[in-house]
Amino acid sequence: MSNNTSTREILTSPIFENNPVAMQVLGVCSALAVSNSMQTALVMTLAVTFVLVFSNLIISSIRHFIPNSVRIIAQMTVIASLVIIVDMVLQDVAYELSKQLSVFVSLIITNCIIMGRAEAFAMKHPPHLAVVDALGNAMGYGLILLGVAFVRELLGRGSLFGHDILTTIENGGWYLANEMFTLPPSAFFLIGVMIWAIKVVQRKRR
Amino acid sequence: MAFKKDTVTGTMIFIIVLSLICSFMITGTAEILKERKLAKKRDEVKQFVLKAAGIDISQGDFSDLFEQRVKPKMVNLASGQVTEKANLLDFDERMAAINPETSTKPKKDIAKIKSMANDVRIFEVYDTNNQLSSIVMPIYGKGLWSIIYGYMAIKPDLNTIENIVFYEHGETPGIADFVTDPQWLALWQGKKLFDEKGKMAIKVIKGGAKDGDIHGIDGVSGATRTGVGIQRLVEFWFGVEGYQTYLHAIAAEGK
Repeated sequence: MSNNTSTREILTSPIFENNPVAMQVLGVCSALAVSNSMQTALVMTLAVTFVLVFSNLIISSIRHFIPNSVRIIAQMTVIASLVIIVDMVLQDVAYELSKQLSVFVSLIITNCIIMGRAEAFAMKHPPHLAVVDALGNAMGYGLILLGVAFVRELLGRGSLFGHDILTTIENGGWYLANEMFTLPPSAFFLIGVMIWAIKVVQRKRR
Repeated sequence: MAFKKDTVTGTMIFIIVLSLICSFMITGTAEILKERKLAKKRDEVKQFVLKAAGIDISQGDFSDLFEQRVKPKMVNLASGQVTEKANLLDFDERMAAINPETSTKPKKDIAKIKSMANDVRIFEVYDTNNQLSSIVMPIYGKGLWSIIYGYMAIKPDLNTIENIVFYEHGETPGIADFVTDPQWLALWQGKKLFDEKGKMAIKVIKGGAKDGDIHGIDGVSGATRTGVGIQRLVEFWFGVEGYQTYLHAIAAEGK
């Protein structure tokens, strides 16, 4: 296996085969909470991408200096600082949106995907590979989040990114919005269906 | 390698350096965003004051409107006198209310705010003919779960309510949403704060106020305690420990 294909594998494997949300069932909490509209899902994905990329980069570049006994604390410190920065920037740039995301931005700290990647990958690999791995995992997370949000917003409110796609009856259209999709439990079913679909596809590939 | 990471000293040095770097990252970001945050806060105050005064801000620049029509003032609650202060728009009410040097404990704390600022920032709003049209005063107090923050605008007769807005609360979502509902807030318009004897008379009435009741506002069922909280906070702020001294002072001046 050449070095090139392995880099590509690191990038693509977390998107389907080893998807952090669907296959490892990590970060589900936030996936349920913020996936009721495309906008919040997208912002959340961007926030997680930022934190994941930089935490992997920083931790991987200092991995030779991290004492073994405090490595989790060191990782947490880096992640927490990054999350605070994201939170501050978000409150500045998009105040209304940050109110909707409320506590879930700060809860990125406890998102297992980030801790997991720092501990499992960044601690053992050089920075450039760690960044690629972070991007791959962020894409895997974003794919599920945006996929779920797409279905939930479309069926729950008849809109995408706040723009009307299916005009609902309240607005004089024909579509009766299924409000179950705006509530968190629907994300459970949708993520379940996605896990199933991904598994079926993978079985066929083998 | 000179740096032995797994010794006690190594671990200590590493943690200290890492903490320092991380704290610099955070304070750096905070410092960069500070000026913008202040500007945002100023804009928020301007918008809510104009809204409380019943001025339409959907058209044109609210900042200009504010400059032309509104005059902020610091008032000492105990003496009812206007006090001088620079940069009134950057005055931090929340900080002033908890800082022991600038605040006192209310004697009869019916609004359950625990400590209140000695000096409060109010806003005089003028109409286009440069006549005083209303005075906007900050009010706040405890509802059921949280402190509710708002502004009350009263007409120059110092009795009729021009308008009221609440801009921050943490009451039960869904049930206490009426706090920010324009329809409910409109019920306050034109009501009188005091009765003929000058006593505080405003009431949030469970089951709805009677027609023609000039002091009563409809309460909302399911949110009785929030309603009571709002009544109490209005009572408090327009009571002896609130703006009463100041209101008497300007009333005397006007005569």
